[in-house]
Amino acid sequence: MIFSLLAIVQLCLCLPAQAVAGQDRTSFILNKVDDLWRGESSFAVVSMRVKTEHYTRTMRLEGWSKGKEKTLFRVLEPLRERGTMTLKFGSHIYTYLPKTDRTIRLTSGMMMGSWMGSHLTNDDLVKEARLEDDYKAAITFEGARDGRNIIEFTLVPKPEAPVVWGKLLLTILADGYTPLVERYYDEDMHLARTFTFSDMKMLGGLMRPAALRVEPTDKPDEYTEFIYEQLELNIPVSDAMFSKSSLKRR
Amino acid sequence: MNLHKLAWRNIWRRKRRTLITAFSIGFGVMLSVTFTGSGDYTYTNMIDTGASMGMGHVTVEPIGYQLKPTLDKRLTAAGRLRARIAGIDGVSDATLRITGQAMFASARQSVGGGFIAVDPAFETPGNNLLLRSLVEGAMFNDGDGLGIVIGSKLAQRLQVTIGKKIVYTTTDVSGEIVSNIARVSGIFTTGIDMVDGIMVLLPIGSVQKTLNYARDEATVIAVIIRDQRHAEGMRDAIAALPEAAGVAVVTWKQSQPDLAGVIAFDKAGNYISQFLVGLLIAVGILNTMLMSVLERTREFGVMMAIGMAPGTLFRLIMVESFWLAVVGLLLGIIITAPWYYFLYHTGIDFSSAFGTDFSYGGVLVDPVFKARLFKESVMAILGGVFMLSLLAGLYPAWRAGRIPPVESLKTI
Repeated sequence: MIFSLLAIVQLCLCLPAQAVAGQDRTSFILNKVDDLWRGESSFAVVSMRVKTEHYTRTMRLEGWSKGKEKTLFRVLEPLRERGTMTLKFGSHIYTYLPKTDRTIRLTSGMMMGSWMGSHLTNDDLVKEARLEDDYKAAITFEGARDGRNIIEFTLVPKPEAPVVWGKLLLTILADGYTPLVERYYDEDMHLARTFTFSDMKMLGGLMRPAALRVEPTDKPDEYTEFIYEQLELNIPVSDAMFSKSSLKRR
Repeated sequence: MNLHKLAWRNIWRRKRRTLITAFSIGFGVMLSVTFTGSGDYTYTNMIDTGASMGMGHVTVEPIGYQLKPTLDKRLTAAGRLRARIAGIDGVSDATLRITGQAMFASARQSVGGGFIAVDPAFETPGNNLLLRSLVEGAMFNDGDGLGIVIGSKLAQRLQVTIGKKIVYTTTDVSGEIVSNIARVSGIFTTGIDMVDGIMVLLPIGSVQKTLNYARDEATVIAVIIRDQRHAEGMRDAIAALPEAAGVAVVTWKQSQPDLAGVIAFDKAGNYISQFLVGLLIAVGILNTMLMSVLERTREFGVMMAIGMAPGTLFRLIMVESFWLAVVGLLLGIIITAPWYYFLYHTGIDFSSAFGTDFSYGGVLVDPVFKARLFKESVMAILGGVFMLSLLAGLYPAWRAGRIPPVESLKTI
C-alpha cells in the first residue's frame, strides 16, 4: 500500500518521451512538467487527507525517492501508525508494520486495494513509472480557456497496454508548464476521476503546486487530498535505503 | 404333489390378502425406484456439471497443486500427455487449462476472482458449463487474442458490457506481479452466484505469455469421461501412462471435495430411508406369512400326521414366500413402469421451490425432479426386495415345521 511520496503528483505526469518527429514539443513540455517534481533523488513531507462517506482521516508522511523505480515512505502521524513504512522497488511493493515487526510483500490480489484508505490504489503507484510504455500523448488544445493560457494533452492508451482507462486529459498552464487538472475517462469516455492541482507555493526552490486533490466522479462527496509541506530535490540518498532489510533497521 | 403347485394354490386361497401383500411389495419397488433413480440421475448430473466447471472428472495436475494451487506449479509437455489421454477408450474430452486467481479491473471497479485459461479449439458447450450458459456475445476464437468470457454478476460489478476492456492482474511463474488486458467477448449466467460473480475464461495463449509460461505448459489437464462411475479406473489408467510420470492424477472427488461430501452425505441419507422402508415392507410380509401359517395349524398337523416331513413343510412355506415375492415384483414392475416413464421423460418441476440459485454444494442442480436408473441399480432393487421377502418368510416357515401333529389336531 504505498505510494511514492513524490510520485503522488508525478503519478500522472511522467509522460512519454517519444522521439517521433513532430512529437518533440509534446515530449519536451511533458518532460518539463515531470521535472517539476522529479530529481535524481528527493525527500518530501506530505500530509494526506481522505474523506469518504464513512470516515475522514488525516496522515502525515515523509518519503524519499531515487530515480523512478525506488521510493520509500514512512508514516509520521497519526502516532498509532507512526513508523509504518512502504517500499516500492520496481514493480514490487513491501509494507512494514512496526507493531508486529513484519514485512509483507503485496500480492497481485492486493494491488487493486486502496492505498492507506485513500482513493488511489496500490496499482496506481506501481503503474506510475510505466505511463510512457502504456500511453501515446498528443497536444489537443492550445490557447485561452477560462481566461488562462493553457495547453491540453490527450493521452490515449496503446491498444495492448494493460490500462483500464479510455483516455487521460492533462491540462497545464502554458506559462511555466504548471499542471492544473488531469482527468481520467473510462472507455465510454465518461469522466471517472479527476486530479486537481492547486496552491502554488515555493517548494524546493521553485514555484510548484503544493496540493493535489483526487476525486472519484461517481462519489461526488469523497476526495483524497495531498499537500506538500516540504520538498528537497537532488539530495544524496543511499541505494541501501531502498532494500527490504533496511525496513526493519529504520 | 409338486411343492410349487401346492404353494401357488395355497397363496391364492386368500386372494385379497395375497394381493394386498403383493401390493406392499410392489409399492416398495416403486419407492425404491424413485429414490434410487433420482439419486442416480441427480448425482450423475451434479458430477458431470461439476466436471464441466473446469477440472473434469479426472484432473491431471502438478504434484502439490491440490494443496497449494499457485501458478508457479505447472505441467510441462502437457500437449503430448493430453493427446495420449484423449486417445484412451472412454475419454470423451481432454483439455489443457490454466486455472488461477486474478484481480479484474475496469475503469469503475476492481474485483478479485478466478480465471480458467482455455484453448477455444478444445472448448465446447458440452465440456464447459460456462460456454453452455452464454447469454450474451460469443466465445473468443483466438487462443492468443484478447478475448474474455465473464460471469454476468462480475460484469455487473465491473460495469462492463460486450467489447469493453478489462485489466487482469496476477502473479507469474517467478512471483512477479503481471497484468494484461482483455476485451469482453461473451457473458455467461450459470445461475450459481459464486461462479457468475468471480469466474472468467481467458485465451490460453495470451495467459501463457502473461505468466511467462512456455507454449506447452498448463496447470491442469481436465479429462471428461463418458461414464462418471469409471473415474477411479480412468485415474489409474492415466497415472499408468509413461508420460504421466511426475504428475498427480486425481478424480473429481479430490478436486471437488465439497461436491463429493455433499453427494456422500445425501447418498447415506437415501440408503437409510430406503432401509427403513424395506424394513416396514418386510415386517408386513412377515405378518402375512405368519398369519397364514398360524391359521393353517390344523391343516399342517394333518399333513404331518399322514407323513409329511417337517423339512418339506419348511420348504413349502419358503416356496410360498418365493411366489408371493414374484407376484409382488411383477405387480411392482407393472405399477412402477408408468411412474418411471413419467419421471424419466417429464419429471416434477421444483423450480418454484428453489428460488433463483439452483446450486447445491457449489454445483448447479436441475430443479426438475427426474429419475434415471443404472442397470446395477435395477438389479439391486429387484434383488433386494426379493431377498427381503424370502427373509420375511423364514420365521413362519420355521414355525410351521415345528408344529407338533397331535396337539395341533386339537386346535380348530
